[in-house]
Amino acid sequence: MRKTILISGASKGIGLATAERFFREDNDVTDYVLLARKSDDFAEAEKELLADNPFGKKVFCYEIDLNDRDAIGQLMPKIIEKHGNIEFLVNNAGYTAPDPIHEIDFGDFERTIGVNLYAPFLIVQHLLHLGNTFEYIVNVASTAGITGRSGWLTYSSSKAALIAMSQVLKEELAIYGTRVITISPGRCATALRRKLAPDEDPTTIMQPEDVADAIRMLTSPVGRYVDSENLVVRL
Amino acid sequence: MYTLALLNGGVGTRVAAGQPKQLIRVNHIPAMIYPLIAVDDIPEIDQIILNFPAGWEDTMRKLVADYAIKTPITYVEGGDTRHASVRSMLEHCDNEHVILHETARPLVTKAEFEALIAADKDNVSFMLEIPFTVAPVDPDTQQVTGSLERARLRNVQLPQKFRKTTLEAGHAYAQKEDVVFTEDATLCAVAGADVYYIPGNDRNFKVTTKTDVRLAGYLLAGDDDDA
Repeated sequence: MRKTILISGASKGIGLATAERFFREDNDVTDYVLLARKSDDFAEAEKELLADNPFGKKVFCYEIDLNDRDAIGQLMPKIIEKHGNIEFLVNNAGYTAPDPIHEIDFGDFERTIGVNLYAPFLIVQHLLHLGNTFEYIVNVASTAGITGRSGWLTYSSSKAALIAMSQVLKEELAIYGTRVITISPGRCATALRRKLAPDEDPTTIMQPEDVADAIRMLTSPVGRYVDSENLVVRL
Repeated sequence: MYTLALLNGGVGTRVAAGQPKQLIRVNHIPAMIYPLIAVDDIPEIDQIILNFPAGWEDTMRKLVADYAIKTPITYVEGGDTRHASVRSMLEHCDNEHVILHETARPLVTKAEFEALIAADKDNVSFMLEIPFTVAPVDPDTQQVTGSLERARLRNVQLPQKFRKTTLEAGHAYAQKEDVVFTEDATLCAVAGADVYYIPGNDRNFKVTTKTDVRLAGYLLAGDDDDA
């Protein structure tokens, strides 16, 4: 049986590491629908995946700005038409432009909420309306959504909302047998972290591959015993 | 193949005044959605007849679209009585076998529908043992008129399945004899059909009062799993 995973923000960081983690494993996830903004990283990511494809899996890349609601509304029916049911969804794409409240540009706040909160909501709602039944949805939140720090107002707010939304979805989608998994990584060596903490040495902190391993565990059968909580992973 | 006839037509005010009873929401999800989702992946059920109270068809259609129910649905306006509703739904039934359910039982499971379909008789109802004693009385004089043997009584539940012709004959009988039944298993039995039961589950109770709604929500949320 062929199963399809959709991963947003898949051009780098935790999204790409998660794609690689599933892709290089002998499992029933055969089709990889990857979403990211147009970038050299994204083109490179596709090449990298296909260069080492031990189980003959398929990769489909869609360039999209997830802050564009109309674009999400147009893309989801196309994805369903081409790929059929999406069994697994990883809402990973994240955006941040950290600033203290006195300096926050409202447009940046809107973009943060747009990418980090509205996009996962819209992807799930559009797919549900199209009759999609998920086996699981992974929402990549953040410890920033649990504890606020100076300068992170917009990002922390968006992730706190994502954690709350995940709890609601978990209850509402239980009637379909859908698992809704929330993971909140602490500091992790990604481009986004670099914006939040520009002076940090990324080699000293958790790596995207570590988070991908945790996501893999949560989606495995044993993950059922862990996924009732927003799982915090941090070094 | 089977048609699910989902009774959804009577307007009741016992739970929320001013709203038809079937728009009861359990955990904020309309109660009618739970059985629709429970049967949507059952291949033996290829038609659903959903009845609606006058004026509510658009609402029903929107909810069915929002929740992306895939099984084809025929919408039939509810009648003045349960008899009338079932009769008008039967006219639209394309299959030889009918399953009756009501939206006021949202805790029904897919497995229960499957067990009903798998039962080897044609006319079968879920029924429950009665854990209390009932007495026959004369309500006018308040006199107790005898006793009933609990072991030979059952609490009639839904869903039920019938051969379509059996259900039609039952309703023709009720019309001819001018008698009213509140459910169809006893109606068909009295009309002369062979009707059987299989044991039901007390989780699949009828949501009637505000307390029922809260209890159903609690059970559906599964919050009772801590040690």
